[in-house]
Amino acid sequence: VIPILADIGYGPFNMGWVAAAIVITTPILLAAVGELISERAGVLNVGLEGMMLVGAFASYWVTWKTGNTVVGALAGGMAGVVTAVTMGLIAIEAKADQIVTGVGINLVAAGVTAFGFDQIFGARPVIVVDRIGTIAIPGLSHLPGGIGPALFDHDWLAYLAFLMVPVSWYLLYRTKWGLAIRASGELPEAADTAGASVRRIRWLSVLTAGFFAGLGGSYLVLVSVGLFHQDMTAGRGFLALVAVIFGRWRPLGVLGAALVLGGIDALQIRLATVDTLASQVWIVLAIVLLAIPAFRLARRRRAFVGVGSGVVVGLAIVSAVMFIVTPRIALPDQLWRVMPYVLALVWLAGATTRARVPARLTVPYSRE
Amino acid sequence: LKRRQLTMRAAETGAAVAIAILALLIGLLFVAAAGASVSGAISALWQGAFGSSASVAGVITKIVPLTLVALGWIVVFRAGRFHVGFPGQIMLGGIFSAFIGLHLHTLPHAVHLPLAILAGVLGGIVMAAIAAWLWVSRGVNEILSTLLLNLIVFQILDWLVSGPMKVPGGVIPATAPLDPDAVWPFAWVGTLGWDVVYIPIAVVGIAFLLSRTRFGFRISLVGANERFARTVGVEIGRIGVGAIVLSGALAGLAGSSLILTGENTGMTGDFEGSYGFDGIAVALLARNSPWGVLPAALLFAVLRQGANLLEANLGVSTAAIDVTQGLIILLVLGATTVFYRISKRFALPPTGGGTMESVAHAPVIGVQTESPAL
Repeated sequence: VIPILADIGYGPFNMGWVAAAIVITTPILLAAVGELISERAGVLNVGLEGMMLVGAFASYWVTWKTGNTVVGALAGGMAGVVTAVTMGLIAIEAKADQIVTGVGINLVAAGVTAFGFDQIFGARPVIVVDRIGTIAIPGLSHLPGGIGPALFDHDWLAYLAFLMVPVSWYLLYRTKWGLAIRASGELPEAADTAGASVRRIRWLSVLTAGFFAGLGGSYLVLVSVGLFHQDMTAGRGFLALVAVIFGRWRPLGVLGAALVLGGIDALQIRLATVDTLASQVWIVLAIVLLAIPAFRLARRRRAFVGVGSGVVVGLAIVSAVMFIVTPRIALPDQLWRVMPYVLALVWLAGATTRARVPARLTVPYSRE
Repeated sequence: LKRRQLTMRAAETGAAVAIAILALLIGLLFVAAAGASVSGAISALWQGAFGSSASVAGVITKIVPLTLVALGWIVVFRAGRFHVGFPGQIMLGGIFSAFIGLHLHTLPHAVHLPLAILAGVLGGIVMAAIAAWLWVSRGVNEILSTLLLNLIVFQILDWLVSGPMKVPGGVIPATAPLDPDAVWPFAWVGTLGWDVVYIPIAVVGIAFLLSRTRFGFRISLVGANERFARTVGVEIGRIGVGAIVLSGALAGLAGSSLILTGENTGMTGDFEGSYGFDGIAVALLARNSPWGVLPAALLFAVLRQGANLLEANLGVSTAAIDVTQGLIILLVLGATTVFYRISKRFALPPTGGGTMESVAHAPVIGVQTESPAL
């Protein structure tokens, strides 16, 4: 879709990387924005992965039937909503544990999509469905240095994903609805007393999360490959969960986190083709790692105290040494794939993050 | 009151059976949708599970990890510290066992096998200890941390079997077969290992631990009412960590069994086979009773074992079985409230920390003070 672009940037970090990062970020961001709203309302939706998978399958099927990618994408979103209804029934109505419910939804979604694919497409030759074309934004897409094509020549789902960041910010912080959503995640009794139905808010939030997760799934089919296969979501639902944690349950933070995750993934794919790790990667890694404690120092949060900072500085030194000793080395791709999860865990263990968790996340609400 | 509790228990058992049957019926609906005959599917499932001594051996082999994981879940559930780290604990347990089985030689069987088993238990404990430490000293919710730890261990395993531990010159990512002295000898029939002895020992042991020992009593106390437990001087942190680590040990044991039993073909990247999550489903279906684990694990093992023949004979994808298993989880969770409401209508006393209601009162992420009080 995006040609290898010429090149503001450094080594592998050129505009082509930026464009690829946006394509990878979009499905994660779509799912994460929905999940953000759901979690702010107090419902942790681990079934995101399953909802994306169901959305991917539905969009593949409907696009094949209708030949219309817009209808296909919306069908993906609606399939996510249907899956989210299950989540709502069990986690909101039956007040069962949200996480176990999510695990169950992931199992059922994997089974249902595999079964459906087997039934409908199992006996047919491989079908590649129509894909969503890109829409170049007039003017901006001609910016020099590769910036224009990298940033302003994407499909409508990508624009929607990035547009949803300010929209969700406005919704959460500037509307009555947003106040109600935040209240039902922090202090549902207060929301109830003020006359907002916690039950209705949580339902709407969960359905929203389902819709955007489904859209994220359809993006994988309709933009990336035009195909469906059983494990095509490949942990992206979990990455979206990680993005919400990293983003400290704020829209802008979620955007940043999703971009970092997408950027790492895009970098990994680009580096996989060169098979050895370019020296620039070590330099950038060392700079980034050193910047973290410096950032902490600037914010005077017990800088250089604690295991976290020590580890970070240690890694920075290691990568600097690696640059000098072996500028080119092949790293296993599993290392790249594991990084988001490790970082999320370290992030969760960090003291400052905890205060941001919606106080009643995962706690069912019942009027007594 | 006693009679009421008995009625309650009978009703709970009935509900569990009804759920299993309902899920099976929905599964058969999928089979019918695939154009296969329903009676054929039932007989294929039956034949696949009980048709030959080899398939019976397969069923029993599958009961072992399901039982161990389910018991691990029950322990942490009673303590109100339930987590979803079983897949990761199984995987690290298996990795440790495989390491001992691959790299130690010339040890007598009586030393090598126990060593490999202990290594597996240690692997499970290590994984659980990370989550327990993150919970007790960093305040990280154990469900979130174990969810992430699973994904991390999966990548580590993937790397190990395609890199450092891969059989030299091998095509598929897998380790070499283990040293024959490190694996379980076969019992009775087929590839059934002697590790079946885990089933009675673990069930009786955990049932005894929970109902007859001081540790078990404290676990239930903490799970039922954390504030009260704290007031009477129970160390919440120690009990919680103990429960999580014990569940990790059980899952690690399950991991060692998956590696050390059967045909000894070495460790692959997918040896965990989603036993970790299915074990949770087994425990849920058993309504978190150690004795109930036995029939529930049998059902899941039969489904798993029978699924192969279902696919081979009728061309029905094993995905139909996956759907059934996932549905059991969702139906059990959903049925709980209905059940709870009925029990409230008949003014029965809520049955404390051991039943499903306390699932509804999940602990708050990052904060330990919130008790799952009813």
